[in-house]
Amino acid sequence: MTDGGLKVEQPMESVEALSREAEGLKVKLEEERQKLNDVPLTTVAARLENLQQLNIKPRRVLKGHQGKVLCSDWCNDKRHLVSSSQDGKMIIWDAFTTNKEHAVTMPTTWVMACAYSPTGSMVACGGLDNKVTVYPLSFDEDVTQKKKAVGTHTSYMSCCTFPYSDQQILTGSGDSTCALWDVESGMMLQSFHGHQGDVMALDLAPSETGNTFVSGGCDKMALIWDMRTGQCVQNFEGHESDINTVKFYPSGDAIATGSDDATCRLFDLRADREIAVYTKESIIFGVNSVDFSVSGRLLFAGYNDYTVNVWDTLKCHRLTILYGHENRVSCLKMSPDGTSISTGSWDFTLRIWA
Amino acid sequence: MAQLSNLQQQRLMVEQLRREASLKRLPVSEVVEEIKQFILQHEPEDYLLIGFSSQKNNPFRERASCDIL
Repeated sequence: MTDGGLKVEQPMESVEALSREAEGLKVKLEEERQKLNDVPLTTVAARLENLQQLNIKPRRVLKGHQGKVLCSDWCNDKRHLVSSSQDGKMIIWDAFTTNKEHAVTMPTTWVMACAYSPTGSMVACGGLDNKVTVYPLSFDEDVTQKKKAVGTHTSYMSCCTFPYSDQQILTGSGDSTCALWDVESGMMLQSFHGHQGDVMALDLAPSETGNTFVSGGCDKMALIWDMRTGQCVQNFEGHESDINTVKFYPSGDAIATGSDDATCRLFDLRADREIAVYTKESIIFGVNSVDFSVSGRLLFAGYNDYTVNVWDTLKCHRLTILYGHENRVSCLKMSPDGTSISTGSWDFTLRIWA
Repeated sequence: MAQLSNLQQQRLMVEQLRREASLKRLPVSEVVEEIKQFILQHEPEDYLLIGFSSQKNNPFRERASCDIL
């Protein structure tokens, strides 16, 4: 195609030519990834000593929800926790004393996601209402007075988080997209298209490693995104069913995922491939939530069989099982200083383990 | 998002694949070694892993109760 006097490239692009190039690239990528799979993780880890017995016990039980607990998040002050439930309530707890400091009733049930802002002055939540609503926290007036709907998807919101400041919020949705919103104006700053199914979870890269995040979905894929450009920079497959949870490894170089296929997996970003699978024949129930301990040596995973399994990330074996919940473990999160882990369950309670 | 023609969709896919193909990748042995080093470096701060030298340092220790005499 020429345009007046301008010299324009003539790439002989046809659907067939592009299709052939795509196939060729896919084969090349697969070969590259295979070539680099030189040594299994467990071989490198074999030289490490086995860990001593862990001393993790249930320390607190947070009772108050009248429905399944679906999501929770820690405040950066390491003691407050926000949780949301199927009963439409969001509760803010002082985890040390187990006191409930705020209770907010949402005009919707199944509040599937909640998050604390970095300064601790606001919380965000949403779910079946397709929206993310922000609540500035205050002891002087009813918290629902100043609430603000920030963004709307065309399907349920499954996850949300504040990327590094109180001014923006990142959401994932059943409409298969993620979106970045400006809290003040409610404007969508960026949208992320690429999943072929509901987005179920997202996690931010540790701030040292830049503006990226990972999302996991019902299309069994985990995708790494550049927040500024909206582009998908890497993708990982391997799971055999919906991915319910994703988490960055503390160094930012790898991600852990948990799935309905009853496995957790570790994918390394620089090797661009799966490097570990955490599985046992006896484990047949889906994983809803994962998190790492501070060093990354421990991988905590909450399952539909009511337990939390603690895995040795390097040696790929299970270290211990945390019992206590009386129904599915739907969410779990390490506290900001790494001293404890909170779990939330369909048994209406949250528990703190340390 | 407006419906893309088949050609545009193919083009986007090929561009994405080209970007991925140009990524620099490292062998598994190297990345795992780095993960191991990270773990060893941060183990001393990982209280869930090493526990507390004294339960007094555990912010979630069982609360002592006081009796008012």
